[in-house]
Amino acid sequence: MSAMFSQNPVMNGPNYSFSDAPRTNNGEFREHRFNPYSDNGGSTLAIAGADFCIMAGDTRHTSGYSINSRMAPKVFRIGGSNSDQSDATIALSVCGFAADGNALRDQLDTVCKIYRYRHGKPMSVHACAKRLSTILYNKRFFPYYTHAMLGGIDEEGKGAVYSYDPVGSYEREQCRAGGAAASLIMPFLDSNVNFKNQYVPGSGVGHELKERERHPLSRPVVETIVKDAFDGAVERHIEVGDNLQMMVITKDGIEEIMLPLKKD
Amino acid sequence: MFMARSEYDRGINTFSPEGRLFQVEYSLEAIKLGSTAIGVATSEGVILGVEKRVTSTLLETSSVEKIVEIDRHIGCAMSGLQADARSMVEHARVECQSHSFNYNEPLGVESTTQAICDLALRFGEGAEGEETIMSRPFGVALLIAGHDENGPQLFHAEPSGTFYRYDAKAIGSGSEGAQAELQNEYHKSLTLEDAETLVLKTLKQVMEEKLDHKNVQLASVTKDKGFRIYTDEEMAEVVERLPAN
Repeated sequence: MSAMFSQNPVMNGPNYSFSDAPRTNNGEFREHRFNPYSDNGGSTLAIAGADFCIMAGDTRHTSGYSINSRMAPKVFRIGGSNSDQSDATIALSVCGFAADGNALRDQLDTVCKIYRYRHGKPMSVHACAKRLSTILYNKRFFPYYTHAMLGGIDEEGKGAVYSYDPVGSYEREQCRAGGAAASLIMPFLDSNVNFKNQYVPGSGVGHELKERERHPLSRPVVETIVKDAFDGAVERHIEVGDNLQMMVITKDGIEEIMLPLKKD
Repeated sequence: MFMARSEYDRGINTFSPEGRLFQVEYSLEAIKLGSTAIGVATSEGVILGVEKRVTSTLLETSSVEKIVEIDRHIGCAMSGLQADARSMVEHARVECQSHSFNYNEPLGVESTTQAICDLALRFGEGAEGEETIMSRPFGVALLIAGHDENGPQLFHAEPSGTFYRYDAKAIGSGSEGAQAELQNEYHKSLTLEDAETLVLKTLKQVMEEKLDHKNVQLASVTKDKGFRIYTDEEMAEVVERLPAN
C-alpha cells in the first residue's frame, strides 16, 4: 500500500490516483487541515464610570479541560513611555486566543510608542481606539482571534470603554463583557449598570411606563459589580477562575488590583 | 590630486572639503528669486499673504496659486519653484488624510511640517533599496500655517529639510526688507485684522508692482473656520483698509 503513494519511481507503482486517494484508518478520505487558532478561555469585563474606568479579567489560561496557567493576565497597560508602563493611561483587554491577544497588545503598544516619538504627546484613548480598529481590520482575512476592549479617560475627563469584534468593528459603550462567560455576565450588567427593563413604579401602563433613570456609578459600586460578576461566572463556567485582575483607570493613572477567585 | 572647488557642485550628495553641500545651498538661493510670501501668527489665528507676479495684463490672476490647502486646519504659502511645491503639498495632504484615517484626529501642525521636511533630503542616488524621488533638492520654501490643540502656529520649511517655528516670517525676493519690517511691527497682542493689514503693508513695501487686490492673495487659519483663502471681495475690503501713501 505504501508504494502506491510513493514519489519514488523505483517502487514502481502508480504515484497517485484520484480514485484511490489517501484514506484514514476509518476508511474516510484524509483531508489536509490548517488549524491556526485555539481558544484559551477566560473572560473580560469593562465598565466606564463618570471619571474612571475599570477593566477586569480572570487570569486562567485553558486548552479544553486543561488549565495551562493560573496566572496569565488578560488586561494590559498600553502606550507608557517606559518598559514598566508606569505612566500609561490606556488599558487593553484581550480574550479568546491568547497568542493573538499578546501579539495584538505588542503591536498596539509599539504603535503608541512611535506615536509619542512622532507627535510629542501621548495618544488619546479616542485616537488609540480608531488605530486599534485599523490594526484589526488590516488582518481582515486572517484575523486576530480576540475580543478586544480598550479603556481610558477621554478628552473631557470621562471614563471611556471601547469594544471590538475580531475584525475591527468597534463602539464606545458604558460597559461590556467579553470572552467565555460573556453570555453569563452581560445580562447581569444590563440589569445592574444600564438598568434595563426597570421602570419607575406607577409611572404609567404599557408604553407610558418611564424607564428607571441611569446615573453614573461610583467606584466602590462598580468594583462590587465587577467582583460579583466574576464570582457568578466562576461558579458556572469551567474556563473562568483562579484570580481576578482589575485595572482602575483614573486621571491619576492606572491602579492594578489582584483578587482571588475559586480555583476549582 | 587637486580638485577645483566647483567640482563639488556636481555630485549632489557630496560634501565639499569645507563641509558644505553646494546643491542644497544653491537651492536656498532659488528661493531668493521667488515672489515674496509672508506669514504672521496671532493668538486668534495665522494670516498668510503672497504677492502674485502679474507678468502680463493678459494673465488670469486667479490662476496664480501660491497659497494652497493641506487639510481643513492647515494651509501653506510658497516661494520658489511652484512645481516642486506640488509634490511636497501632495505628500503633506496624503500624510494628513492617512493620519485622520488611522487615528480619527487631525494631524498636528508640527507633525505635518516634519512630514514635508522628511521629503526634502530624498534626492540624489539614495541608499540601497531606498527609493529616491528627485534628482536635485527642492527649489521652494514653504510657510506652513495651521491650528491644532497647541493653538495657531506658523512654520517655515526650507529645502535643506530644516524647519523653525516663527511668530512672523517672510520668504522670497523681498524677504530681507519684509523681515525687518515684521521685526519692527510684530507684537504678541496683534488681532487677526491687524495681521491682515501688517501682511499687506509689508508686501506693499517690497513689491515692485503697485499693490492691488488682484496681485496679492491672503489666507487665514483660525480655530473656527480652519483654512480659508480670501475671496476677491474680502481682498478688496482689506486692500481698502490700507493707509494710502
